[in-house]
Amino acid sequence: MAKMTLEDLRKLREGKKAEMTQRDSSDKSARIIIGMGTCGIAAGAKEAFDAFLDELSSHNVTDTKIAQTGCMGLCFSEPTVEVEVPGMPRVIYGNVDDKVARRIVKEHIIGKALVSDHIFDKPAADIIK
Amino acid sequence: MHATICNMIIDLVHNSIEAGATEITLKIEEKDSNLSVVIEDNGRGMNAETLTKAMDPFYTDGQKHKHRKVGLGLAFLYQTVEMTHGTVAIRSQEGEGTTVRFNLDPSHIDLPEFGNFAQAAVAMISHGFEGDLTIEHSVNKKSYTANKAELIEVLGDLSEMESLILLKQFIEENEKDILDCEAIFPVIHPEIRNQQSTIGNFNERWAIYGKNDT
Repeated sequence: MAKMTLEDLRKLREGKKAEMTQRDSSDKSARIIIGMGTCGIAAGAKEAFDAFLDELSSHNVTDTKIAQTGCMGLCFSEPTVEVEVPGMPRVIYGNVDDKVARRIVKEHIIGKALVSDHIFDKPAADIIK
Repeated sequence: MHATICNMIIDLVHNSIEAGATEITLKIEEKDSNLSVVIEDNGRGMNAETLTKAMDPFYTDGQKHKHRKVGLGLAFLYQTVEMTHGTVAIRSQEGEGTTVRFNLDPSHIDLPEFGNFAQAAVAMISHGFEGDLTIEHSVNKKSYTANKAELIEVLGDLSEMESLILLKQFIEENEKDILDCEAIFPVIHPEIRNQQSTIGNFNERWAIYGKNDT
């Protein structure tokens, strides 16, 4: 098995850049923020992070950013994840394991519908179905 | 304690980030009878009194969460070391930084599994802190280094999906390379390779990257 070098990586990146210039680069990207405090890590935030990456990649969703933060103060519902999609209310999801992370990608980021049974904060209760 | 060594490592690296470090080095050496981890940072450091308190799970400096009464990062490390007869040494100097060094016996029955280091490395490198992180991971004689600044230079913003996918690919390829048990033990019997040993269960860790060849 050959080791991948930075030069190999640079070549792959250049190839991707050429693909990206072909696409419409509208500034309507979604943002996923994963709580990576001790509580989040212990509850599986790393696995949730990887599931988001894998699911977004498999659906070819490239206009989404993934960031990390510390504990959001909702340790009882870790892993917690904040999702911002333009035109939708900003929400914090709780108990986001691998399966829920994949649902959030499919239903919220792609389908533009909230995953109501995992919302732990915002929006107001009257708009959660 | 944390469920995996990788989770514990992420937690300790986050301590360095929260201590305001601009240079963090993580060295992991997996050898036949020893797992060695060193995390060195140039963060704000601790005096002797604070360091002693930091080992207490019911101590926190109160800066991150005003009303919290627990700080579990170092406490989890001490618990793991104590339960598995490992060793730990922390050297810290206020204003200069902290070095956390621990050694664990991979064959100890109570040691948590090592975990998926590719996931851990991607999470640590893509963390948006304003500083550099260098990861050196070796398994017996094979090793690789990943440096955050170099990866940003090649990939750009590491919160972007395109960059994250390539970062994951880079780390996984290098993890596969150092976990390549055919290369390390070309004639070893599959049953022996399945046994728990220095680098954990070869096949389980190999399978993480979709290369279970048995």
